[in-house]
Amino acid sequence: MDDIYLVTVVSNIGMISFIALSAYLLLVVGEISFGQQAFFAVSAYGSGIATAMWGWPIWLGLLWGALLAGAAALVVAIPTVRLRGLYFSVATLAFAEMVRLIFEIFTYQVEIDGELVGPDGSDGFRDIRAIYDSNVSAFEYMLIIYGLLAVVLIGFLILERSRLGAIFRMIGEDPMLTEMQGLNVTVYKILAVVMAGVVAGIGGALYAHLATYVEPKIFNVMLGVHALAYGLIGGLGTAFGPLIGVAIDIGLLESIRAISGYRMIVFGGLVALLLIVRPRGLLDEAAVHWLRGRWRELRRATH
Amino acid sequence: MPILELTSLSKHFGGVRAVDELDLTVEEGEIFGLIGPNGSGKSTTVNLICGVLPVTSGQVVFEGRDITGRQPHRVLAAGVARTFQNIRLFGYLSVWQNLWVAQNSMEDRRRENFAKRWFFGSGAERDTVDEQLEFAGLIDKRNELAANLSFGEQRRLELARALAARPRLLLLDEPAAGMNLEEVQALDGRLRTLQQAGVTIVLVEHVMELVMGVTDRIAVLNFGRKIAEGLPAAIREDEAVQQAYLGGNVGTMHA
Repeated sequence: MDDIYLVTVVSNIGMISFIALSAYLLLVVGEISFGQQAFFAVSAYGSGIATAMWGWPIWLGLLWGALLAGAAALVVAIPTVRLRGLYFSVATLAFAEMVRLIFEIFTYQVEIDGELVGPDGSDGFRDIRAIYDSNVSAFEYMLIIYGLLAVVLIGFLILERSRLGAIFRMIGEDPMLTEMQGLNVTVYKILAVVMAGVVAGIGGALYAHLATYVEPKIFNVMLGVHALAYGLIGGLGTAFGPLIGVAIDIGLLESIRAISGYRMIVFGGLVALLLIVRPRGLLDEAAVHWLRGRWRELRRATH
Repeated sequence: MPILELTSLSKHFGGVRAVDELDLTVEEGEIFGLIGPNGSGKSTTVNLICGVLPVTSGQVVFEGRDITGRQPHRVLAAGVARTFQNIRLFGYLSVWQNLWVAQNSMEDRRRENFAKRWFFGSGAERDTVDEQLEFAGLIDKRNELAANLSFGEQRRLELARALAARPRLLLLDEPAAGMNLEEVQALDGRLRTLQQAGVTIVLVEHVMELVMGVTDRIAVLNFGRKIAEGLPAAIREDEAVQQAYLGGNVGTMHA
């Protein structure tokens, strides 16, 4: 039992990491989104429909889900990125709730082998069986999740050393000053929202196929709030920050039986405490800068 | 030839006329002083030129082109850069990064393709940034976070960043604020070097040693209106100016 349990927990950490990275990217550009779960949901449904109903192979289903989430993010981004602060947060929350309510009534079913398959409103979407049909074991699927997570994480680490990544941080710190460097802040913010949508989408597609079942209520606002909190706990100075947040929450609080009943209390308390003592998380910009400096010294010393 | 022309430029905040029917002409190659008591509309004027604030009425013409109401990034692309009264840097970025992301002149944009610009830039660009750091005297601080620099270093970085965009017009909003005499003299020298390099400068400043020494011409604002314009020596003797600043007492004007 423990092996399967462990694989499930580790897989969950991997999947939730995508939505945490998604919310983190928007925190870096200075925006708090309460709506990243919407892109997770769009991709979960979209990729499930593609594999279970249209018979697409799983890799194409994942790609499709991620692209669909990116397209949804573009639609959200264009009218909302000019909003600042609270207004952006409220707009993302409203959008996410709208998406959830649409899935509550969204019914699209076809008959496959004498059974109806497809989303059925609030009853959800069953039998997304692509990974079982292609004989992928839970352990192998976990490796797929972590393979994709590694690719996305490397992408983030490259981004953080690139000019684009620097521009994202600049926008988060002082958008007007960024604009005065000759950079069109609106365009860069739309780009950030779309990238965040794609990242959340990868997680959503992976989720749908692991769970084999999705229903609208999974994608409620608490998922988005957790996604935000991971970055705020782990730190906004590096993409490892939100991953640390996920590991703390799911790896420790949810998975250790003795304290799992108090998870929300401990988690909420942790967020509140960190917002007071370390408002930008454990690995904030200053900590990351310090670590990079030590790393440089270490490399110089060994050469 | 005028490089910058403001024509009856106005900015009203509700009933307050922060800038009121201002006409100003800055000639190419000069250092133009813009002075006036606190709240006289100097910084607002700079903000109107840069597109940070929307103009209530009037026109901003740069190099013969109307740039009134353009977004800030387009004003920079046209060739106007600025510094701030309160230092504004990207504190979460390193000193080097602060300059790197400011390489946005038209020539720089054309020099590199899209992917290069967005990722790591070219070797030539990296060398340029190092040269600029050298010139600003910040090369040994290149890996520091900008937030950890001393006050004087932050000022130098801000100026270097404004210059990185290779502006033809540079707007300096109180660059000498908080500087000691030695630093003011160094700044004086640096401004003359820039002038020789062909940069036109509008200097908003309270520190009179700097303004009176380095500028070619001066305009004085009070309550958003221009009350005097002329050579530094004439401005020093102008009665309306002394009245506006000191209520008649000339003391600190010469301080």
